[in-house]
Amino acid sequence: MHWLVEPGFWSNPVVGPALILGAVVAAVSAAVGVVVVVRGQSFAGHALTDVAMAGGAGASLVGATPLVGFLLAGIVGGASIEAAGAERVRDRDVATGVVLGGAAGLTALLLYFVSSSTSATGSTQSVLFGSVFTVSPSVVPLGVAVAAATLATLFGVRRPLLLSSLSPELAAARGVRPRVVSLVFVVVLAASVALSALVIGAILSTALLVGPASAALRVSRGLVGATVGAIVAGVAAVELGIVASYDSFYWSAAHRSVPVSACVVAVVLVEVAASAGWSRWRRGRG
Amino acid sequence: MVLGNARRGRSGARIAGGLALAGVALAGCAASVPPVAPGTLAVVGAESQYADVAAQVGGRYVSVVAVMNNPNADPHGFEVSPSVAREVARARLVVQNGAGYDDFMRVVEAATPSPRRRVVVAQRVLGLASSIPNPHLWYGPATMPAVAAAIEADLARLEPAHRAYFAARLARFDVAMGALRARIAAFAARFAGRRVATTEPVGDYLLSALGLVNATPFRFQADVMNGVDPAPQDVGTVESLLTGRRVAALLVNAQVSSPVTTTLTGLAQGAHVPVVALYETMPRGFTYQRWMTAEIDAIERALTTGRSTRRLT
Repeated sequence: MHWLVEPGFWSNPVVGPALILGAVVAAVSAAVGVVVVVRGQSFAGHALTDVAMAGGAGASLVGATPLVGFLLAGIVGGASIEAAGAERVRDRDVATGVVLGGAAGLTALLLYFVSSSTSATGSTQSVLFGSVFTVSPSVVPLGVAVAAATLATLFGVRRPLLLSSLSPELAAARGVRPRVVSLVFVVVLAASVALSALVIGAILSTALLVGPASAALRVSRGLVGATVGAIVAGVAAVELGIVASYDSFYWSAAHRSVPVSACVVAVVLVEVAASAGWSRWRRGRG
Repeated sequence: MVLGNARRGRSGARIAGGLALAGVALAGCAASVPPVAPGTLAVVGAESQYADVAAQVGGRYVSVVAVMNNPNADPHGFEVSPSVAREVARARLVVQNGAGYDDFMRVVEAATPSPRRRVVVAQRVLGLASSIPNPHLWYGPATMPAVAAAIEADLARLEPAHRAYFAARLARFDVAMGALRARIAAFAARFAGRRVATTEPVGDYLLSALGLVNATPFRFQADVMNGVDPAPQDVGTVESLLTGRRVAALLVNAQVSSPVTTTLTGLAQGAHVPVVALYETMPRGFTYQRWMTAEIDAIERALTTGRSTRRLT
């Protein structure tokens, strides 16, 4: 492993929690991301990241764990997008955009309060771009629990969810209530965004949500295969990103490390590009 | 067409209303600045410690306000308000740190040009480059005597009638500074070479004057100061300093908390390494010299009895 991992990696006190939390978060984001991509809700997913951002800023203002802020805000924001009840795609797009703008404005206000009236520093950086190396080890069990609950809920509603995504008419004929399904899914989405905001920040959590899922959907045929592929790609991106960020300490004489979030997003982009190349090559052959 | 005009007219009225509201708001801001006492010079200190030194030198002929004086907030995250601009606009003397620490003062001064205003910049008084990596100049024992002399020179130029008064006040301040230097020398004679860890470079100039060795990598201190995540390697280094009890104390910036500093404080407590709070701006109820003495006392208490000082009182 020496060719990949620089010395001290395994014994470093902040690396272990980062690897565990990163893997769990990546798995949830990837699994939820497959449904997001299938439902065409990438933009809603991104809007939720902005809402989560406001929650994270609010949490650091009152001194709470950011995960709780991300989670509460995401659920409230997601439910309000859903409650706006936009049936047509275009109305939904506009409602999402309005919520996004409002949330970003609220974030700016809350972060201003944080830096001007409390001693919490670096909140802007950690809320927007994440800081998995500084996550307190005590947050790891909470994160794993939220992740498990999210995956279990997603697994429970997978059939009506996919049916209403792919064929609303058929779903209605089978007695699926689309509003209920959408509401459950938006809560699942909010939870997954909250988790990935911890690792790569609220703004960048879209990358972890959409990137591995879209890459896997291009490469594999069935939804099960795509979900497994997305989880593998997502976990690989986060773990490789953490390793790259750690190793980057040794790349320059000044020992300036590259942030984890930038490394993770770089790996995700490579995966997406590789999957695009792969599917083009296969189509060319077929 | 007519409808269109009517609509435009309404929106015009709305804009006018909005402007009127903004005007009222501005007037409100302007009114919130208290008047300067008659017969005194308006002086602004960018940080409360510089305001205090200006008040000590200027005595009864100055009305001093401090821009950054909230000991609970991180000065690096400071944003100016319109009332600060008003204070600076009417000030005859401004004292600021420079070195990129209070760049907002430069912006405000450029926005409110005044030929009658004199500006003392500590970093320039000391002949330092503005790019100096550690901007917390006031922790250096040579800084305030030089700044006080510059303040005295400017006050004497602004109010030549009170020249003798300002000179006497400066002499009194220099006596206090002499006592502080003696305190530092006595500390260094006893504790020179002892190792400490810090979260930020806030007190580093004082620590080297005290003869203490800061075992924390400067890169780590700068990362925490700048609010970016320190490299995990550096976090590991600092954590092992504490868990291995290889330092006699952990000195934390009382005005800055982040997940990293919280973790380090917890580790220090677990390893029975005393924690001492260093303030970034002068806490209320202190003078500059009493503040520095209190910090030195707290560090000495940590080194001799192992007791933590999380707040200065």
